[in-house]
Amino acid sequence: MHEYSVVADLVSALLPRLEEHPGEVTAVFLKRGELRVLSDHALKSAFEIVTEGTRLEGASLEIEVVPVRVACDRCGYEGKANYLKDEAFHFVIPILTCPRCGQEVRIVSGRELTVERVSIRTPSDAEV
Amino acid sequence: MHDVRFSGEDILARQLELAEENYRLLREKGVRAISVMGAIGSGKTTLIERIVARLKPCGYAIGAIAGDTAGDDDHRRFLAAGIESVNLNTQDDCHLDAHRVGHSLSELPLDEIDLLFIENVGNLVCPADFPLGAETEVIVISVTEGDDMIRKYPKIFAQTDLVAINKVDLADAVGVDTEVLVSDYKRINPHGKVILTDARYDRGIDELIEALGIECTNTQW
Repeated sequence: MHEYSVVADLVSALLPRLEEHPGEVTAVFLKRGELRVLSDHALKSAFEIVTEGTRLEGASLEIEVVPVRVACDRCGYEGKANYLKDEAFHFVIPILTCPRCGQEVRIVSGRELTVERVSIRTPSDAEV
Repeated sequence: MHDVRFSGEDILARQLELAEENYRLLREKGVRAISVMGAIGSGKTTLIERIVARLKPCGYAIGAIAGDTAGDDDHRRFLAAGIESVNLNTQDDCHLDAHRVGHSLSELPLDEIDLLFIENVGNLVCPADFPLGAETEVIVISVTEGDDMIRKYPKIFAQTDLVAINKVDLADAVGVDTEVLVSDYKRINPHGKVILTDARYDRGIDELIEALGIECTNTQW
């Protein structure tokens, strides 16, 4: 349960960056790597609470999950990871072993947590 | 309506930078750091004590960071084991982070330490998202937590290549099949390594030391 601290970091990083962009913030778009141990539900409720009284209050938090991509230094494979699809685990889990040769892999994507864009409605939008 | 683009800045970038700073500092000082994560009460501290007892006669100067939400029980145990130790209370935070570990590093005589154990708060969820800057990571679980531990926390096991399953002497008593834990882990992390340990009665410790890549040959055990 570290969604609140992650969202607090997000909000304090975003607010100063948005100062030069007047208007009503309507949505914040995040990309979350699927290896991140973060609940989207908790991120959204934390966002709602942490943004209270700030310019981001009322904005929605939109989260896109980024699948794991791996690279193998032994055989040169780069691409999707294999997934363990087993009912016992209840959800699919990426396997961080090379799908081609079985070697340990580097993670190319799947651990990121990034802000992609923020949507802002300005008074001029209303006139259109 | 218009969009302000952020070209994918990582929200946790600061944590990564701090972890890299810790990593660089440790390398510069010649300290090999091992991050010990694991379940509550799985035997992390006892395993470290056993490893220390083996490695001290080999001439290793050892240090520890005792991470806990409160109290100094582990810290006192490390001092009693005759190693340098810093107590790191997170005050209810459920994991260590690189920033806190950085402060603890500044309190340790790193020039005089070869091996550093960073013991995380007992938790199998949050530590996966917070690299500390250690060279090696190990997760400790024990059979008394049940044979479904790997299935319940798959992400941290998928990302950690060494697991110690502790208290194997109690497996029969608690009706747990250790093999279930081993095979679940192997399916999630086929190249990962599992060591079965019984820290209380000092079994599996040599194998764990070897799996950690620590050499200790000039002893009599």
